[in-house]
Amino acid sequence: MELFNLEIALRNFGPLLAGLMLTIELTIVVMALSLVLALLVALGGLSRFFPLRWLVKSYVEAIRGTPLLLQLIYVYYVLPEVGIRLDSFTAGVIALTLNYSAYISEVYRGGIQAIVRGQHDAAAALGMTRMLAMRRIILPQAIRMVIPALGNYFIGLFKDTALCSVVSIQEVVFTAQILAARNFQYFTLYTVVGVMYFAVSFPAARLVAYLERFSKRGYRRRRS
Amino acid sequence: MSALRPDRAMIEVEGLHKYFGESHVLRGIDLTIAAGEVVCIIGPSGSGKSTLLRCINHLEIPEKGNIRIDGQLAFRTEKNGIFRSHSNRAISAVRAELGMVFQQFNLFPHLTVMGNIIEAPVHVLRKPREIARKRGRELLAQVGLADKEDAYPEELSGGQQQRVAIARALAMEPKAMLLDEVTSALDPELVAEVLAAMRDLAAQGMTMLIVTHEMNFARQVSSRVIFMDRGVIVEEDSPARIFGAPRERRTRDFLRTVLDR
Repeated sequence: MELFNLEIALRNFGPLLAGLMLTIELTIVVMALSLVLALLVALGGLSRFFPLRWLVKSYVEAIRGTPLLLQLIYVYYVLPEVGIRLDSFTAGVIALTLNYSAYISEVYRGGIQAIVRGQHDAAAALGMTRMLAMRRIILPQAIRMVIPALGNYFIGLFKDTALCSVVSIQEVVFTAQILAARNFQYFTLYTVVGVMYFAVSFPAARLVAYLERFSKRGYRRRRS
Repeated sequence: MSALRPDRAMIEVEGLHKYFGESHVLRGIDLTIAAGEVVCIIGPSGSGKSTLLRCINHLEIPEKGNIRIDGQLAFRTEKNGIFRSHSNRAISAVRAELGMVFQQFNLFPHLTVMGNIIEAPVHVLRKPREIARKRGRELLAQVGLADKEDAYPEELSGGQQQRVAIARALAMEPKAMLLDEVTSALDPELVAEVLAAMRDLAAQGMTMLIVTHEMNFARQVSSRVIFMDRGVIVEEDSPARIFGAPRERRTRDFLRTVLDR
């Protein structure tokens, strides 16, 4: 028996592709939520209100100090014991969003703190409140600076969603597990899964590399 | 804009003290700038000139003393030696009445020249965008940059950027302008264009407080020159007296070192 069975690969391609689609859906939903939540977390961490800062710091450290796999298991298997019962997709989205928001908030924070004092001074001197200056002057510059880093998190998240197989979300890895349990074609199935991941992440990584070059360029528009 | 009105105090500084950690950088500054006056502050680096300017619009918070802008107590109120800060909104409202120009220009790099100029008029004063743009075009013409409204700051020379910064401050229709060593970061050949823009402004009767190392400019444009050293005002007088016959030895020593280059 050959290792890679093309017929098996073709026959199972449909279900695996459906799994990949769910993987992509999960990635996009979690990333969209995390980009927003992380911004709120970052702003909370820079707040002048001490209790809020402390709360944010504790959250970020708790998330960074524990494995994502554990967080997933916690949300899906432990929360029901205190009466919070979530379907697997929701549990996966919540755990991943809490995890990625903590990391991405640090990216935002770095970007915001990299904006030089003179920009704050100029905005303040023009009569802008701290909030207005943040929204109109600081954040637009900070976000532009962190776009490449966010892109890398996006790709990382795409691969991390594989962990959701433990909470039985039918993403691509879990789909392969189910199929393999039936036909024992591990090599074929997991190779197809690997190729699928690579086919998405490699072009995405090239795109991020391009964005990186773009964000290093100045604000000058390209003149043709 | 009005001409010189000695009866109307635009900026009043009273008993100002500022520390940076252990170092006492402003040691009791009292100063009044009348409407329409052009006052230059000169003095060695580290004398507290820039800190004084930054205290006037609360970019630095002094440990003691009061600031009045156009007769109104600004930024905070003192009661029995305890300062109560005004609301953030009230502080911003006073700053909106003062134009400030910085040594490092501090233009917003993500906005075009016009974007820089209309940002605060539109979002702070809530002026309609079209009216702000119209005023912006007039101001750009005034500083000689009518053709640059769509450029980004990094496409401009330092002198051009600083003139945009002046236009940006003027777009708020300020009661007074604070200019903090605005030519010190410029290549020598670009200094003149910025000084010319400031001269125009002085000629229009704008109230100006200028920290500068340009002695010729201070001599020609000021109605009054202040010499500061080590956190105090050592001497203030007409430019003719300061540059011609200073009373204080420290002033003479300083002028000798800067003019003999």
